[in-house]
Amino acid sequence: MPIEVLIQVLIGGVLLGGLYALVAFGLSLIYGVVRILNFAHGTLLAVGGVAASLAYAAWQWHPVWLILALIPIFVVFGWLFYRGLLQPLEKRNHFESTVGTVLVTVGALLMLSDLTAKLAGPTQKNIPLRFESFEIGEIIISMSQVWILAGIALLTIAMHFFLRRTWFGNAIRAVTQDSVGAQICGVHSSRMKAATFAFGSAIVAVAAVLYTLSFPVDPYMGFGLTVKAFTIIILGGIGNLLGALLAGLFLGVAEGMTGLFWKPEWAPAISVILLLLILVAFPNGFRIGKRQ
Amino acid sequence: MSAALSLRGGTALACTGLAAAACVPMFGNAYATTFVFTILIAYILAQSWDWIAGEMGYVNLGHYCFYGIGAYAFSIALVAKYPVLLALLFCVAFTAIVAMLLSFPLFRLKGDYFAFATLALLPLAEILAYNLSDITKGGDGISLPPQSVLSIAYWGALGVCVVAAYLTVWLNRQHFGYALKSIRNDEEVAEVMGIRIFPVKLRVTVLSASFAALAGALQSWQLSYVDPPTVFGLNVALVPVAMALLGGSGLLWGPIIGVLLLACMQQWLLINLKTLQTTIYGAVILLIGRFMPGGILRAPWIRRLPWLHALTREHHERIDSSTTHAAVQGHLPLPKRSIHREQPVLQCQGLTMAFGGNIAVNQIDLRLMQGEIIGLIGANGSGKTTLFNCISKVYEPRSGSLSLDGTSLIGLRRDEVAHLGVGRTYQIPRPFGDLTVQENIAIPLMFKHQGLAPREALARAREFIAYVDLEPHLTERADSLSLQQKKALEFARALASEPKLLLVDEVASGLTPIEINRFVRHIRHVRDEFGITVIWVEHIFSALAQVVDRVIVLEQGQCIADGSLQSVIADERVLRTYLGSAAQLPNAGSTHA
Amino acid sequence: MKLSQTKLLITLVMTLSAGLVSTNALAKLNSCNDPIVFGTTISETGVFSTLAEKWRRMTEVFAEEVNKDGGVMVKACNKKIPIKFVIYDDQSVPATAVSLYERMATVDNVDFFVGPDWSSMGGPVPPLADKHKIPMISANVATPSLYDRGLQYFWGTPFPVVPRWSERYFDMIKTVSPQPKTIFFVVHDNPVMKGIAGFWTKKAEAQGLKIVGNETFSQESKDFTALISKIRAARPDIVYIASFDNPSVPLVQQMRQLKVRAMDVHHTMLTGSLARQVNKDVEGMTGELPWYPGVKGPYDGLVERVLQRSGVSMFDYIFTLGRIGSYLVAIQAIEKAGVVDREKVKEALFKGTFKSPAGDIKFDERGFPDNGAFAIQMQGGKVFVVWPPEVATGKLQWPAPTWQ
Repeated sequence: MPIEVLIQVLIGGVLLGGLYALVAFGLSLIYGVVRILNFAHGTLLAVGGVAASLAYAAWQWHPVWLILALIPIFVVFGWLFYRGLLQPLEKRNHFESTVGTVLVTVGALLMLSDLTAKLAGPTQKNIPLRFESFEIGEIIISMSQVWILAGIALLTIAMHFFLRRTWFGNAIRAVTQDSVGAQICGVHSSRMKAATFAFGSAIVAVAAVLYTLSFPVDPYMGFGLTVKAFTIIILGGIGNLLGALLAGLFLGVAEGMTGLFWKPEWAPAISVILLLLILVAFPNGFRIGKRQ
Repeated sequence: MSAALSLRGGTALACTGLAAAACVPMFGNAYATTFVFTILIAYILAQSWDWIAGEMGYVNLGHYCFYGIGAYAFSIALVAKYPVLLALLFCVAFTAIVAMLLSFPLFRLKGDYFAFATLALLPLAEILAYNLSDITKGGDGISLPPQSVLSIAYWGALGVCVVAAYLTVWLNRQHFGYALKSIRNDEEVAEVMGIRIFPVKLRVTVLSASFAALAGALQSWQLSYVDPPTVFGLNVALVPVAMALLGGSGLLWGPIIGVLLLACMQQWLLINLKTLQTTIYGAVILLIGRFMPGGILRAPWIRRLPWLHALTREHHERIDSSTTHAAVQGHLPLPKRSIHREQPVLQCQGLTMAFGGNIAVNQIDLRLMQGEIIGLIGANGSGKTTLFNCISKVYEPRSGSLSLDGTSLIGLRRDEVAHLGVGRTYQIPRPFGDLTVQENIAIPLMFKHQGLAPREALARAREFIAYVDLEPHLTERADSLSLQQKKALEFARALASEPKLLLVDEVASGLTPIEINRFVRHIRHVRDEFGITVIWVEHIFSALAQVVDRVIVLEQGQCIADGSLQSVIADERVLRTYLGSAAQLPNAGSTHA
Repeated sequence: MKLSQTKLLITLVMTLSAGLVSTNALAKLNSCNDPIVFGTTISETGVFSTLAEKWRRMTEVFAEEVNKDGGVMVKACNKKIPIKFVIYDDQSVPATAVSLYERMATVDNVDFFVGPDWSSMGGPVPPLADKHKIPMISANVATPSLYDRGLQYFWGTPFPVVPRWSERYFDMIKTVSPQPKTIFFVVHDNPVMKGIAGFWTKKAEAQGLKIVGNETFSQESKDFTALISKIRAARPDIVYIASFDNPSVPLVQQMRQLKVRAMDVHHTMLTGSLARQVNKDVEGMTGELPWYPGVKGPYDGLVERVLQRSGVSMFDYIFTLGRIGSYLVAIQAIEKAGVVDREKVKEALFKGTFKSPAGDIKFDERGFPDNGAFAIQMQGGKVFVVWPPEVATGKLQWPAPTWQ
């Protein structure tokens, strides 16, 4: 096995894993603060991807513009979704709020994919933007991959900075660790949750465009992505951004390696198998970094 | 509407429904039969899911996995020319074994983590079905010989539905049902009350998986085909979950109502609309989640409708009234133990417990003699509650020895320790919130060594309830009680586990002087009359002072004083670290702190 | 009060069930005054809906176009009788499809069934045809084993069928220069595609090509780096991709990025959908197409009008011809039988030969056809039929320039 092949597969795995991590970022933040299982998370990404591909097909906007256009729409949607549907459930007892959020997010999943299929067509779409590749010896890296990886890295750094240095970010981390304590310190809990939901949705918008640049989307693929995202946030730890990134990368590379050393048809299963094995060994998830 | 009437109404409705369903294949057309068949299958799935979710509180999102495994096992057996009954048996056995094996890793998780992990089972199963193509024929799927088995499959499904419904009713009245309910409320406390947790989880998972497997087998028999996306697809996986939740998870009639409503609505939408059927379906689910999150049957305005009362009763409203109206004799049915003051009931040596780098309990040596009432005091963070947690095995001590009546407690489970005779209350009361006061007390009575049957336990629980003056709240939910009432409940519940050693954790804080006095009397009484040794953590020193034989003082995990009341309060170190130099021994009988 | 409430409950339940219990009305067959009713389900929503769109409209337009000059000629009535479709959405769920077909058989009283599509439906639904003795001409059910069950009322029109899928392609490469010596199969984990790979690997070997690789990938796969590394290591002359168009989009894109080199890259489902998603990456690839507007054949005018009016492009998704083929077979079978009678139509269908713009549809005794496809190549962003030479609209560029 020449080393170049290994490196090539590694690069592919890193890109795939980075995208998975991106999907998981928003979910991790939202779950850390709001503590609900949002089944519609992946579907929101699918909808964003479909919208982005249609916008590109119609007006040829550069992906950066697509992202900038999509973010405000998603922020507003996320905020309204939380305020209107999920926040009233927080006042109920634990059982009812859990059941209520499951039903609301499952209903939202069904509605979003059906409406998107109706309005945009059910068939698969992508953003077919191609940049050239360059070679380093036997290893080929495409510029698209570089751009997307750069985008992911930039987003991670920006979010890291945001979470550590701004008041909002610190408030998010505070609420994730201790909701009551944060309230005592002046964090308005329900406004915080709505804002986090909106912010998490903004991340989904970015993830949607970057995802659709690499892989095709259709209105029904969302739930599969949600399952992957859940897998990553368990491995990476709730609210732990670096953990989600590393977990995502780990899973992406694992899939690539499975395809190389074993058989490609088992690659998507490897995430789940690893998840189950790791959960047995570490029932509380990894503690990556010094957090928590 | 009285309970008896509701019971008759409910039974009448069930029988009518059953009769109507039984008539369909005979008088209806094939369409009706197929449609009702899908409803029956959906009910089996929704109800079996609800045993784990509604009863036990664990949300298993991968339930559909068992459906698919059952479908495949059945089809493989049938294609291998085994007779149908044998194939069904095989599919149940195989799925049960898979469920058993999966329980071991999965039940190491709790709450949302459990839900995530079970959700991940579905894509895994789908890929296994695709790739193990020697056994499962991969994407080709398994075709069963295309006989028309609709009627037989229908009767089979109806039979399974009846059994599932009956099991649900039966479960609620059994030990097993109460074990599930306690786990749902508070798993740790359930164990401390004497319930062995893991076998319960295992059994309910195997039961649930078996029924799901039967549903899978019967449906694939009727469809005469099974392939990976049909049985493991994520798109249908959440439907039984939504159906059970929509009707009302944990209610007897919840799953069937949810199934009927959603299935009929979906079919109506499909027939009558050309587009956006799923949007409307999703919208209904969303709106019910938003406005009636407990499920339709728990919505306040539905509960007010008298003719639906049969359906909307929670389980505790179905408890046999004879148990609530029996006469109270007025004395606690506890064994009277003789007290040998020289014999130790609890001994620990070098007991150490640490959390990370923080040593909470540091080399403690302790001897509690039979029949003593011992006060355990110390500053906050000195290790008192941790010591309690070590004794009741909420934590396993790092090192040291610990024995009760000569039997070592090291390495034992919490329920084993409870059976040996350790009972405790919690500093912040932890009742089984959605069970009634009566049921809360009945549970340790059911699960103690040589436990009682549920009916007897419920009847006998009244003695304990009367003892702590909670009679008026007998059939109320425990989470609706005030703090003082909850503390009384805690105490009574701890007593009901027939302890030799009772650990009482800060029971007096937040109580009025009269209420404190009552507790003090109770503690003295249970020692005097039943020979129970009591160790009591308390900050309200005047309460302690009235009954204790001996006081132990902890400071930073170590024992700094151990002796009679007088000697302890005179001790320099105790005064410095805890009591304060202005402390005086209060007069016996005084009631203020 | 208890008694009257119980009575109320019983009445309620009875009323509800009455809606499901209905007498089995006789079908209005053999009538010369009522339209001929075809019942079908289309996967308009759900996972299979991603495979094609606008088929409801296409079906309705088909009926309109056929009815424009009266409908289907029925000799026994001495006139043309219009046709009508009853269409439901099966939501890509087989159990739903089954109950809908039962409904069409017993409540809607359709005369014949057309459709459904896809193996998952092709498993449970066809036995209903036998059960109700209603001839069913399904569309895109391509898995051959589903025809081996001894069903008497079941036919299918997948385009093309596995044994003829790449027939013209392999014929064509016998004549090219330089001759390819090695071939690498990349297979999508799907029964039809695996069937194709299984069949055509043998044929390739028989033709003298050496198989230097045979890798399968799952539907969900996104990162193909490992697989492509294996391809590059093997340096094949031909890369043969046996896959549905959509799942192979990342594969084709990554093959370009990683600069795979070959004399030809062949794709068994080179469609407009694929071309749209990978853009220039598809340039120079060869593939199969059952039919292309411009290629002449029976009913081509009707088909072209239907496609144009409903906004469906035949090149977009190859399954469209399968669907239309089942409708064409249905109306021809009735014409051949001469009477709107299920048994007579069944006889007409048995081992019958029917016409379509892509050539004859000839059923064997199992109901399985022998439809073939034309070899095509993408040149300059357009699709050209390159084999057989009689109907070719362009000349093959060999070796494919963009894959060098």
